Amino acid sequence: MSQPLEFRPEAEDAVSDEGEALRFMRPHFGEEKFPWIQIWGYIGSLVLTFAALIMVVDHVLPPLALLSVILALAVGQAALQLGVFMHLRESRGLAWQIIFLGMVLLMAVGMVGMSIWIMTFKSGVS
Amino acid sequence: MPSFVMYLVHTLFPHDVLRPTELGADVMIIATGVIIFYVLTKQKKWLYLWREWLTTVDHKKIGIMYLIAALAMLFRGGVDALMLRTNLALPSTPVIDALEYNQVFTTHGTIMIFFMAMPFIFALFNVAVPLMIGARDVAFPRINAMSFWLFAFGALLLNISFVIGGSPDAGWTAYPPYTGPMFNPGPGENYFFLSLLIAGIGTTMTGINFLVTVLRMRAPGMTLMKMPMFIWSALTTSALIIFAFPPLTVALAMSLFDRIFGSSFFTLGHGGLAMMYVNLFWLFGHPEVYIVVLPVFGIFSEVVATFSQKALFGYSVMVISIVSIMVLAYGTWVHHFFTMGAGPGVNAFFGLSTMLIAIPTGVKIFNWIFTMWGGRIQMTVAMLYQMAFIPTFVIGGATGILLATVPADYQLHNTYFLIAHFHNVLIGGTLFGLLSGLYYWWPKMFGHKLDERQGKWAFWLFFWGFWITFGPQYLLGLKGMTRRIYTYPAGFGWHTLNVISTLGAFVMGAAFVILVYNIIYSLQHGEKDLTGDPWNGRTLEWAIPSPAPEYNFARIPVVHERDAWWDMKQKGQTLAAMRPEDMRTLELPKNTPIPFLLGFAFFVVGFGMTFEWWYIVALGAIGVVATLIYSGFDYDEHKHIAAEEVLEIEAGLGRVQG
Repeated sequence: MSQPLEFRPEAEDAVSDEGEALRFMRPHFGEEKFPWIQIWGYIGSLVLTFAALIMVVDHVLPPLALLSVILALAVGQAALQLGVFMHLRESRGLAWQIIFLGMVLLMAVGMVGMSIWIMTFKSGVS
Repeated sequence: MPSFVMYLVHTLFPHDVLRPTELGADVMIIATGVIIFYVLTKQKKWLYLWREWLTTVDHKKIGIMYLIAALAMLFRGGVDALMLRTNLALPSTPVIDALEYNQVFTTHGTIMIFFMAMPFIFALFNVAVPLMIGARDVAFPRINAMSFWLFAFGALLLNISFVIGGSPDAGWTAYPPYTGPMFNPGPGENYFFLSLLIAGIGTTMTGINFLVTVLRMRAPGMTLMKMPMFIWSALTTSALIIFAFPPLTVALAMSLFDRIFGSSFFTLGHGGLAMMYVNLFWLFGHPEVYIVVLPVFGIFSEVVATFSQKALFGYSVMVISIVSIMVLAYGTWVHHFFTMGAGPGVNAFFGLSTMLIAIPTGVKIFNWIFTMWGGRIQMTVAMLYQMAFIPTFVIGGATGILLATVPADYQLHNTYFLIAHFHNVLIGGTLFGLLSGLYYWWPKMFGHKLDERQGKWAFWLFFWGFWITFGPQYLLGLKGMTRRIYTYPAGFGWHTLNVISTLGAFVMGAAFVILVYNIIYSLQHGEKDLTGDPWNGRTLEWAIPSPAPEYNFARIPVVHERDAWWDMKQKGQTLAAMRPEDMRTLELPKNTPIPFLLGFAFFVVGFGMTFEWWYIVALGAIGVVATLIYSGFDYDEHKHIAAEEVLEIEAGLGRVQG
């Protein structure tokens, strides 16, 4: 009546066993002796942040141009954060990334777009 | 030199921290501190405290520390509530003045949401999630400890405000322009923004941690659709945290910039847009409501199945509804500020999206009822909270639909009707659920049950106390009583209902005292849980001894069915009859002081910035960076428990054959 209990095989205590068919899904991590990429990424992110701050504080451009430039800097910052610190390139294949990135894009566009819509009350009729 | 001292005294102890309530609290804090110091020194427990608790990365111990903090904060928030209610019962002779009343309702709200409900939820996540999915710890144990210490030092920063420097007084929502330096000088609001920023970093890391834990650490065979509902709730809550906290962080940081660095994001002049803060705050604030209620849906799904001795009814529908609640939760935030006047199009959209959430929630309510249908129901304390939750939450949800109706909201906005509504869902939902989870998982945490008879007393007092407090507040709201007033003129017809409401608040206070007595009594006299499965449970945490050994599972079982442990019991299997040859050497995370030191360094930054003492800020910032760099290069983060040692521990628990 009583069936023997199965345990997780020992090898798995290190790596999970995806089937052969899913081999491309296995994680591949970049390992380096010293994290130069991260250090440059950190410096880069600070440069982008302070560039935006200084441009706004000193009003270096007319408002519309200023907005466009800091928006471009923000996109660059997002790309840098995802690429360097979120380890986007060291992953289990593209399939998972696209689902999550798509969701992130949907949420971000939704939140920003709806906020703009909501805050138009200043110009519209209420 | 004396002028320097006078400056310090005036800054740290202005007159609004020298009122009798604050001085009384000072005496109590110092007395408690002395007693704790004396006991720890006398019993030589300092080293034990450091080694076993302050430096631990074990999710079970972190869970217990979250729990202790949450109960302490429930006490403080509760005392605040009693002060507010006392004032409102005595409108002609207010006990506290308007300024103190503002400070007290601000700390009441902030503490109950950020420093009571959230850590209580993280306590139960930490205690139950890794055990339920058959894992040895969370995905990132050290980050888990960092999350706890950032929360703990953030909470400390907010809590010292009322005795050092002065409390915040702009409400838990901290709307500008009142939070600006022009209207609100002094350190109070700085404390508020900094403590929430620091605790918020910890919360975000917890969200990431549990998302990865659930997705990556499950026992073999536990597919997503075989996860217990509580795990689904942990997954969806984590996703909500990750998307909801950035807008809060941004809103808080920009407010802080307005205060400290003279920017004008939310000011009235210089092109600031105060309503943008409101928009950002509720962009966080509405998902936050679901962050504190979805875990509770998970807890109730476990409790109702266990104590009905029946599988959860409609599992896949439950999953669909929890995921759709998660998604819809992002699309409703404007219902917190319909009266801003964003126009009929915006308000109609968000009114409808709000009502839409009632559908998946209603589905869940029916599924819990159908789970009980035909089950053998055991009326334990955990189950009583579940059964009280259903009608209470339904009424709270229904009044929420009333508030979502835009024309009605223009009448009810910021009245006691709103106060009654959100306490209805936060106490009837969140608090009842957390207490249910507390009684349910207590044996797993401490190895003994909480006394059921005392627990039932606490339950009935909480239940009736809740209705006596908040039932009259619905009527007060309809009679036009607005929130956040410290007194009101006689002859408005509000007095009787307010007195009844205050009585109810004291009944809930009594319930809290009984709860604490129940915990202390049960530490000594509670029924020991020797089997590890005191409730005839269904999920994997009940397959291991209580309290769980450091490594949780000597071997991780393969899961075949949804209620994995119930399925094993049906097949006559057990984890309590291991063979000596089954034992393996286990790898576990190693204790580290880094998280504690990081939290402390952040506290120094926060305290320095509150008073704008930049040398202290620099000192703390150096501490933060140094701790992080040290942590990044600290590769000695694992330890091993030899197979023989595991065998010895398991044999000591009587769980080895022969």
